[in-house]
Amino acid sequence: MNKDVNILAIETSCDETSMAIVKNGKEVKSLTIATQIKTHANFGGVVPEIASRMHTESITLVLEETLKKFSGKMEDIDAIAVTYAPGLLGSLLVGIECAKTLSLVYNKPLIAVNHTMGHIYANNIEHDITYPTLALVVSGGHTDLLILKSESEMEILGSTIDDSIGEVFDKVARVLGMPYPGGPNIEKEALKGQNTYQLPTPMKEENFNFSFSGLKSYVINLVHNEKQRNHEIRISDLANSFQTTAIDELLRKVELAFKKTGIKNMILAGGVSANKYLREEMQKLCDKYQVTFHVPNILYCTDNAAMIGCAAYPLFRAKKFSDFTLNAKSSENIKKYIEENK
Amino acid sequence: MNTLFIDTHGEVVVLAIYTDEKLMKKKESKERKDHSTICMPLLVELLTESKLDIKDINDIVVVNGPGSFTGVRIGVTIAKTLAFTLNIPIRMITSLELYLDTIQNQEYLVLNEKNGYYIGKIENKQIIEYEYIKTSEFDSWALNKNIVFGDKINYENLIVFAHQKEETNPHVVNPFYVKKIEVENDKRS
Repeated sequence: MNKDVNILAIETSCDETSMAIVKNGKEVKSLTIATQIKTHANFGGVVPEIASRMHTESITLVLEETLKKFSGKMEDIDAIAVTYAPGLLGSLLVGIECAKTLSLVYNKPLIAVNHTMGHIYANNIEHDITYPTLALVVSGGHTDLLILKSESEMEILGSTIDDSIGEVFDKVARVLGMPYPGGPNIEKEALKGQNTYQLPTPMKEENFNFSFSGLKSYVINLVHNEKQRNHEIRISDLANSFQTTAIDELLRKVELAFKKTGIKNMILAGGVSANKYLREEMQKLCDKYQVTFHVPNILYCTDNAAMIGCAAYPLFRAKKFSDFTLNAKSSENIKKYIEENK
Repeated sequence: MNTLFIDTHGEVVVLAIYTDEKLMKKKESKERKDHSTICMPLLVELLTESKLDIKDINDIVVVNGPGSFTGVRIGVTIAKTLAFTLNIPIRMITSLELYLDTIQNQEYLVLNEKNGYYIGKIENKQIIEYEYIKTSEFDSWALNKNIVFGDKINYENLIVFAHQKEETNPHVVNPFYVKKIEVENDKRS
């Protein structure tokens, strides 16, 4: 029998300072998330310099809390994992330097984890990912449709050619006068409304790429024009129409992938996968095509370090360790990451 | 008694080991790369050349600014994580205090940076007030004032001075930014 592997993982790519201890890439032994959402809400979005400052202030407190919740000792930890990309540079650096220091003090290998891969591997926490599987990654930074062929083999079917879906949710929410973060607020408002606004379908082409900037501009212009004409904007209806149009576009591409690939497993990942309409409609679509569908618990959909500990596990087994020159990257092509980790 | 000194506030990363407050070894980064790629490898080099393990460090002195925001955060994050995990004392000194040893009878100590100046008001060989002044406003501010620019650091006496400062709980070891940031409510369209 293989020895159990405990990984201490750190995630500071945006506005949550999070640490976790994850056993064998799936069992969350300890998890702490210190969120900065309330602070950033005052500014209508994440202010990078403030995010970096708050990470620095809370980093050892989050570490203390995470170790306290863990029943084992530091000697039971096998590796230190950290998000190095993509994200806010100053924020990522706080996590990275803390990870390097822990690696030095406890003499444990350092593992650099891509944040997006973390979102995907969050699916391992409650279920085992069954390969091959389709994966839709939807967040503030990503809209990617992938095929995971095995633990170490992936292929990108399509990505957004402009804005990510999470970005568009936040922008539309702002135009509709909703506070940051926009996604959950659009969802709440949409529940009270109907899909009555005729909005353009984002992309007509039958490929796997996404485009949301056209839809975003259309909604923004619509709001401005109606305001100028002193027409009332039915906010709930517009939120509902926008959410339906944007998410139906995701579903349309996933359906196309079901037809073209014949793959019978589907996973959803990233912050936007917390959206209930998306979860429900994806389930219906998967039922229609007899595809097994999994989505992480909402706690593991938004940014957290447990998912980083999950994604670090295959890297640990493949001995893909980093040295102390590890630097933060604000963006990283997931294709390149896949190539390098083959 | 080994003291680790960490200074990442400026363009050059400076790390040093003091034994019983005496400077044993000092290392500075030579390349102008990101501090994040330099600092930890330099620390490992420093320890190796000093024939010390990280667990042989008994206390830490970190420069917590003012200076490069990101630079300071790197040094402070490493320092507070070390102090917390090794459970050893940590003390903060400011970038201006590095130069205190060199002043005579001046009233203000001044450090130049990209777009302005960090100013420390001195009383009884101590800095009692900090402020930041933009380059465009500096000349009128400096008029008729007895000022000295921070120039050379006397590393020999640094830890004797730093050890007079109070120990800080690692959780509250944080950067001292001095300079305000401008956050506009809505920049985006």
